[in-house]
Amino acid sequence: MDIPFKRLGLAITFSPTGKALLKEAIRLKTLFNASLYLIHVGKRTAETEDHLSAVINEAGLSASGVNILWTRGEPGHAILASSKAAKIDLLIAGALEKENILKYYIGSVARKIMRDAECSALILKSPSDNPAGFKKFYISTDFSEESEYAIRKTYQFALLEAAQEFVIVRDYRIPGLASTVLDSGDIEDLEHARELWQSEEEEKMRIFIRELNLKGIKVTSFCLYGREGWRAGNFAKENNADIFALNVAAKKMKFIDRLFPHEAEYAFEKLPSNLLIIRD
Amino acid sequence: MSGESINITRFLITISLLLFTAKALGELFTRIRQPAIMGEIIAGLILGPTVIGTFFPSFHQWLFPDGGIVTSIEGLITLAVVLLLLVSGLEVDLTIALRQGKTAILISSLGVIIPFSLGVVAVYAFPGLFEHNSSHPRMLFALFIGIAISISALPVIAKILMDIGIFRTEIGSVIISAAMFNDVIGWLIFSIILGNLGTAHNPFNFATTLILTLSFAFIAVVFLRKLINRIIPYIQNKISYPGGMLGFIFILGLLGAAFTQYIGIHAIFGSFIIGIAIGNSVHLKEEIRENINQFVTNLFAPLFFVSIGLRVNFWTHFDLPLVIIIMVLAFTGKVAGCGLGAYLGGMNKNDSLAVGFGMISTGAMGIILGLIALESGLITEKLYVALVIMAVTTSVSSAPLMNYFINRKKITFTGILRPELVFFTDFSTKEEAIRHLVDSTAAVHKLDKKDVLNDVLKRENESSTGIANYLALPHGRIKFNKPVAAAAINSRGIEFGALDGEKSRIIILLLTPKNKNEMQLKLLSEIGQKFRSQDISNEYLSAETPREFIKLLNRE
Repeated sequence: MDIPFKRLGLAITFSPTGKALLKEAIRLKTLFNASLYLIHVGKRTAETEDHLSAVINEAGLSASGVNILWTRGEPGHAILASSKAAKIDLLIAGALEKENILKYYIGSVARKIMRDAECSALILKSPSDNPAGFKKFYISTDFSEESEYAIRKTYQFALLEAAQEFVIVRDYRIPGLASTVLDSGDIEDLEHARELWQSEEEEKMRIFIRELNLKGIKVTSFCLYGREGWRAGNFAKENNADIFALNVAAKKMKFIDRLFPHEAEYAFEKLPSNLLIIRD
Repeated sequence: MSGESINITRFLITISLLLFTAKALGELFTRIRQPAIMGEIIAGLILGPTVIGTFFPSFHQWLFPDGGIVTSIEGLITLAVVLLLLVSGLEVDLTIALRQGKTAILISSLGVIIPFSLGVVAVYAFPGLFEHNSSHPRMLFALFIGIAISISALPVIAKILMDIGIFRTEIGSVIISAAMFNDVIGWLIFSIILGNLGTAHNPFNFATTLILTLSFAFIAVVFLRKLINRIIPYIQNKISYPGGMLGFIFILGLLGAAFTQYIGIHAIFGSFIIGIAIGNSVHLKEEIRENINQFVTNLFAPLFFVSIGLRVNFWTHFDLPLVIIIMVLAFTGKVAGCGLGAYLGGMNKNDSLAVGFGMISTGAMGIILGLIALESGLITEKLYVALVIMAVTTSVSSAPLMNYFINRKKITFTGILRPELVFFTDFSTKEEAIRHLVDSTAAVHKLDKKDVLNDVLKRENESSTGIANYLALPHGRIKFNKPVAAAAINSRGIEFGALDGEKSRIIILLLTPKNKNEMQLKLLSEIGQKFRSQDISNEYLSAETPREFIKLLNRE
């Protein structure tokens, strides 16, 4: 069976979710038969070393058996630099940080990784102390070659997990369409055009999946009308997906992407589920 | 009956008459495949000073006692304009406009810069030609004409693209995005000009107005947009549907309009910007967009369009030289600007011209601009008439002109299959067949034989391309700028692992450009459709010449 990722990296902190994250990462290390690198940002002292060893031991590994990368500096930057140097192909991080007893927010490190990592990334929303594996995989596609690559990677992941569902979602929208009725357009013509486009999308999807020729888990698909990037993510959320995957071009996001969301930015903004970002 | 009661009766009768005439002529024009707005404008000409006012002055006097539009109708028309801009804003998707990238940005910015400069220079140099009166600075007047010929009307453009069937093509998306961007730039510049008019009701000086306008636009589009996005799900789920949502949109739109009116620009800018902020919400249902468009289209838009002709006697204020000058400026400026933008963005000459002509419609937006300028005393009736005629002419001529230039040759399988690449063969293995098709295609299209063969065989090894009904469809993605195809009609069946278990007798090789996945999917689906039953395939097998084979394929 093909292995989607061979070198895993985990951004590890002493946060309350640190141990759970480590357990998830160890599970994935076994699942992929991959090597695991723990990236820790902070000063390396006898005390912090002991602390980290304790966390590692508690998660069921011995500190001598894992690769620990110590790094300093602004956390987001430092993690990405170490991960690049260690040739990590899947960087794992927790999404949420705790502000006070009640309030969680998507941490700045997670955001930095989602937006700027050069490798693929897995952002875990609620890592568990007893990781049970991922059973429902949802992935969005725009039928591009990059998306095809992302689907194959995610499918390998799903196969190793013996997932129950693998759903490919295409979201598309036709901006300006509603305004055609403003200029003597007929609402029936509009509906007709939309139905036609919907069936075109479904036909493309059918052939796209046939071409992918994925074998093992049954693939289901949906073509949904709605804002690109948001609609697919929201669909995954509504269906309680364990993983929502998407492909993101390996280029740095600009400020403008935050002002006017990039398709992927919707998922970054509000995680629909655990998020798998595939970069080629 | 009291005087007030008579006035209300008269108001209601007038409104129904206006609506009836507008809708009737609008419908008539739709039947003869012309934009409804033309009919609605003509309805106004008939009811206004141009026809009834001239031939039946006493009836005209009864309908419009002040000789023009009574204040109550005027209020309704202002509301109509505000709502027109609100729904227009709803459809502006800034994300798409920005994502379309270089070409759309070039088209929309040059599509404003060039006609705008052309207009400004022409008017500044020859103010007399445009009936400039000295109560407003010459530059301000020139800036106005500049913007009046550079704005474009998204709904008209969208409808034209839909009618000529290119809405969802690459060129269609570029035009839509450019039109959206153009709208935003146009209204922003116009609002700034209006702020500079220094009318009596403006409580702020120019600099303050400018800062307020820009801050309002920025805050609404960046922050208010996010807030609205959070509120909409609540309204859609918790408050009666769709009434709650429609109410929310109208109330917010009117408040925005009131704000910009207060800061001394015009109400329409506020409703337009609020429209953008609401329309960008991911939660706003498509149904709501259509509902609101329907509501405004059927009630307020006709009222507005019919009112155009009520203000001015078009006959006595028709000035042919002025109309021609405005028209020449509008056509050359817009076509040159947008066309150049498209050309610089990488489109070929004909497509660039098609984009240029696709963007010329100033439609309702041009008329609204003219109306505001007329009301504020910036332009004369003659210029107003010329602007209305320009708006209508550009909207009506856009579709046929675009149609003329656009490359309508859709990429279809039968369109790319050339007779010299159709063979009658007698192979016994699929490798032989594939190799022959690849060799011949590579020779005809000057492709790298080895590369193509590797690609096709790689795909073939992933899963066999035998489809059904005697069809096998080996294919690959190649480094080439267009799709190509070849076909072999084999005298015996070859094992291709087809889904129906039958051996394949028609082998079609399809090669598509590497980065055009959707094109490949469409062509594969088209070919699959053409071989949907064994009976149809048997007919193809009966072909005796390559041309006959293509002819049979074309028939399906």
